[in-house]
Amino acid sequence: MGLSNDRIRFNVGGRIFETTATTLANAGRGSFFGALFDENWNLSQPDDLFIDRNPDCFAVLLDLLRTGDLNIPPNIPERLLHKEAMFYGLIDHLRTAKWGPFDGNRLHLSRSVTGIAPGDGTAIRAGPDGGCCVAHGSVVHVFDWMLEEHPTINLDYQRVNDVGWIDSGNIVLSACERLGRGDGGMGLFSSSSGELRYKFQVSHDNQIKSYSAGALSFSPDSKIFTSCKGRSNEYGIGVWDQITGKQLDFFYESPGWSLGDADKLQWLSGKNCLLVATLFPRKDNCYISLLDFRDKNMVWSWSDIGFLATAEEKRVRDAIAMEESNSICVVNEFEDLGFIDLRMDGGGSSVRWSSRSRLMKSKMPDEPCYPKLALHEGQLFSSMNDSISVFCGSDWVLTSRLKRSYGGSICDFSIGGDRLFALHSEENVFDVWETLPPPII
Amino acid sequence: MSNQKKRNFQIEAFKHRVVVDPKYADKTWQILERAIHQIYNQDASGLSFEELYRNAYNMVLHKFGEKLYTGFIATMTSHLKEKSKLIEAAQGGSFLEEINKKWNEHNKALEMIRDILMYMDRTYIESTKKTHVHPMGLNLWRDNVVHFTKIHTRLLNTLLDLVQKERTGEVIDRGLMRNVIKMFMDLGESVYQEDFEKPFLDASSEFYKVESQEFIESCDCGDYLKKAEKRLTEEIERVAHYLDAKSEEKITSVVEKEMIANHMQRLVHMENSGLVNMLLNDKYDDLGRMYNLFRRVTNGLVTVRDVMTSHLREMGKQLVTDPEKSKDPVEFVQRLLDERDKYDKIISTAFGNDKTFQNALNSSFEYFINLNARSPEFISLFVDDKLRKGLKGIADVDVEVILDKVMMLFRYLQEKDVFEKYYKQHLAKRLLSGKTVSDEAERSLIVKLKTECGYQFTSKLEGMFTDMKTSEDTMRGFYGSHPELSEGPTLIVQVLTTGSWPTQPAVPCNLPAEVSVLCEKFRSNYLGTHTGRRLSWQTNMGTADIKAIFGKGQKHELNVSTFQMCVLMLFNNSDRLSYKEIEQATEIPAADLKRCLQSLACVKGKNVIKKEPMSKDIGEEDSFVVNDKFTSKFYKVKIGTVVAQKETEPEKQETRQRVEEDRKPQIEAAIVRIMKSRKILDHNNIIAEVTKQLQPRFLANPTEIKKRIESLIERDFLERDSADRRLYRYLA
Repeated sequence: MGLSNDRIRFNVGGRIFETTATTLANAGRGSFFGALFDENWNLSQPDDLFIDRNPDCFAVLLDLLRTGDLNIPPNIPERLLHKEAMFYGLIDHLRTAKWGPFDGNRLHLSRSVTGIAPGDGTAIRAGPDGGCCVAHGSVVHVFDWMLEEHPTINLDYQRVNDVGWIDSGNIVLSACERLGRGDGGMGLFSSSSGELRYKFQVSHDNQIKSYSAGALSFSPDSKIFTSCKGRSNEYGIGVWDQITGKQLDFFYESPGWSLGDADKLQWLSGKNCLLVATLFPRKDNCYISLLDFRDKNMVWSWSDIGFLATAEEKRVRDAIAMEESNSICVVNEFEDLGFIDLRMDGGGSSVRWSSRSRLMKSKMPDEPCYPKLALHEGQLFSSMNDSISVFCGSDWVLTSRLKRSYGGSICDFSIGGDRLFALHSEENVFDVWETLPPPII
Repeated sequence: MSNQKKRNFQIEAFKHRVVVDPKYADKTWQILERAIHQIYNQDASGLSFEELYRNAYNMVLHKFGEKLYTGFIATMTSHLKEKSKLIEAAQGGSFLEEINKKWNEHNKALEMIRDILMYMDRTYIESTKKTHVHPMGLNLWRDNVVHFTKIHTRLLNTLLDLVQKERTGEVIDRGLMRNVIKMFMDLGESVYQEDFEKPFLDASSEFYKVESQEFIESCDCGDYLKKAEKRLTEEIERVAHYLDAKSEEKITSVVEKEMIANHMQRLVHMENSGLVNMLLNDKYDDLGRMYNLFRRVTNGLVTVRDVMTSHLREMGKQLVTDPEKSKDPVEFVQRLLDERDKYDKIISTAFGNDKTFQNALNSSFEYFINLNARSPEFISLFVDDKLRKGLKGIADVDVEVILDKVMMLFRYLQEKDVFEKYYKQHLAKRLLSGKTVSDEAERSLIVKLKTECGYQFTSKLEGMFTDMKTSEDTMRGFYGSHPELSEGPTLIVQVLTTGSWPTQPAVPCNLPAEVSVLCEKFRSNYLGTHTGRRLSWQTNMGTADIKAIFGKGQKHELNVSTFQMCVLMLFNNSDRLSYKEIEQATEIPAADLKRCLQSLACVKGKNVIKKEPMSKDIGEEDSFVVNDKFTSKFYKVKIGTVVAQKETEPEKQETRQRVEEDRKPQIEAAIVRIMKSRKILDHNNIIAEVTKQLQPRFLANPTEIKKRIESLIERDFLERDSADRRLYRYLA
């Protein structure tokens, strides 16, 4: 085939485009162009190929195929472009080009989405493909990566405690129960339709019991963990299989140690155990422990019982385990970071508070929120009031701060799908932070 | 109620639903349906992809996804039903070709339909979790063609028939076969396995069951194995040509089971051609084949190994216990070495140097070598023979090879200390008589023994070499300080350290005056330089070269033993001597003297003296004269001593006894070592540990160990526990 034969002329919605088959081959076999040029289809006519679509969008998508970059002129609505990309089967190309691989120090605010919830947000969770879900009271709003909102999710209209993504199509929701009604608990939902697909059940002594589900965590070997509160003694951590939906295990709460009320669960693959943290103000004291389900053993535990008289101001408000440095990072309401050594039982009973100077000198907002922590590929994120701090390196040096001017305190944030979502308490607005595509040179 | 009925006017809904042409969906679908027909009828050249894609897109966009989806399934199903009828109608050989042709057409059509329905695939099917277009197309083919009652069994039987034909030597169209079977694979693993692989394996199993039965009745073991091997490679090739690679393991295991595992015992034990026969006749190819085939089945190699082991043990037992064969020790050992070489070669060429077979070989040798209590002696004798004469003209490398082989046999010995005893004796004889061929070979063997058994084992042997070396220096010193002695007889003394050498009680004998003077001189000289030592003469071990002139003036140099020299020297002074006179003059012990005289007078060609009366044996009343008629072709004549090379029965007993005596302190030392570290131990454990510790040297006899324990208790090294009599305590 000569070089000239490589040239292709299109008439898209009345405008003529010229390109090459090589450029269009970037679209892949699973796209409109891939099929169009397949030998199965007799592409006989030498004239312009007519496509009955929008020429402006075609120009953007053609450039995407040519350069791999996405440049959307201001006159083109994003929704229209997405729709056109869907037609050509180029939506995945578009998504990949839209934002770069996540780096906490190169984030920029991409969008703010305003909600219509009547009350404060409970949680926001990033999905694996760049979508997110926001829990407000008894409903969960689901957004795909285009930030299009899908049908809302609810489980018996009970207060939602936590949500989490199994994959881009499935969301797990944990909710309170109304005593004796047998509602609430934990359910699996379709992220696109909001339908309930499965309701997880908990049974004790072969009897199915109703329960309130709290914090959630997922393990790479397809398990779901949640903190459970039942009627009488059925407090503890339940374990289910993501695929079969069957209850696999239950770790009963030991006396004097709160598991069923846990605020945070985190599965540690390296240690093969689950971090459970129950924090102030849900309880008067903080309890952090590591559970090994294989022999039903609490392999590590820490509590601040008896330490508070001397350090009243340093109450732990969130905790996150960092397997690589064998420690647990905690934060107090003044955004002081503290570290507990995992190698010593009870962490040597003390928190090593980082000695850096108080970062938050600014005036406290009217409605403060408790700080939250997140860890992503060696970067530590901590939210406080209306901003999120990014810490890097082995000494966790403050390197960036994400902040915007309105929306009030950040009540929760989440990282996933190369995006950071921050949920504000006032206005119930959430921000989407993305990393810019890599520089040209 | 009735009031309400009256109000039958309707309020038009305010919202104007924008309805496209109500027949829009039907019209669009018709376009697409026609296209699908055209695609199936290979009449697609006029179709515009863009148009069809756009139509399918629009249907989904306008919420007619369901209609599109069910429509495509219905259309495709009806086409496939038609095709299956056409396939069914195909006769004989064209059946497979037809199915393959139609399958290719379907695949191409399916691809095109998927292209058209791409948007539906991505959106409608994705969100409703229905089966995607391509897998759905495959499912439809499976259900309407492959599983169609009139095709299903016919297809399977056709395929199995072709395989059967190929197995019986016919040439089939492998390309077509591959395509059709590839179809099963494309339809999914379960379809391939259920609809083809399983029946194929069952048929194969049946085929090989019958065939192996035929073969085993008509072939000998070697041929059978050849056939089995051929079948196996054929099946592996078949998989490579037209089956799924995952089937290889399954079909080979069918062949293995039917052809080998089921006939394993019969093959191995087949009369006149089984394993033993192969081993006896060194059939490396057959053995290699057997090894490679049997290793594929459970217990295959174990069976081969067991038969080989029992054959080896039986053969070895006969070899070592046959009194005929143990007459000549050198031959005896050579035969063992030959057997080992033979099996070494079999294992290395045919059994892939399999460690377990090597172990079996070793354990068999260990088993039967120790069946003959004289093996240690024989091995030492073999070495002796080799080092005396056998190694002349052999390259150093080959010497090493022979010695290594001997070491191999040595390793099998349980009573290594007995070997040591004999080796010491034989080495002493070699060294003293100067019969060693190669000093290097001697030392090399000592090094080997040392690495095998440790320093202790060879220290005395090494001492013997040192003595020889020191003696040389001493003699040089002696003659250097006595230059007047260069005239007259020369005395060469080898000073042997007591303990290093296998000493026999020193038999006093009267040396001739010339010699005894010299001996006295040496004694005073030696003791002068080495104070605090004691010298005693081992006259029974010496040799002498004497010059003799016979009747007609023939001069000869006679190489004789010290005893023989003493006797011969007497004839310098008298012509005739009686036995009694000789005995009196020399004071040689009677047995030695008789042997000595016998060798001087009764050996034909070497009889330097004559005995009267002539007879084979020496009597107390005999008398002797010089044999003036003695002649020999050689100037130097070696007069041998009548000594049995092999030990006589009483000698054997004696050696045995000495070995037993030597073992006692070793056993005691082992007991004390063990008890020192364990403090308390029961009887059985002591026996076990002692046996284990002494294993490298000899196999300790439990009763002997018990005796040693008793002895140690008597001497207050150990005591019995007062509570439990089976326990012993160590007394520090």
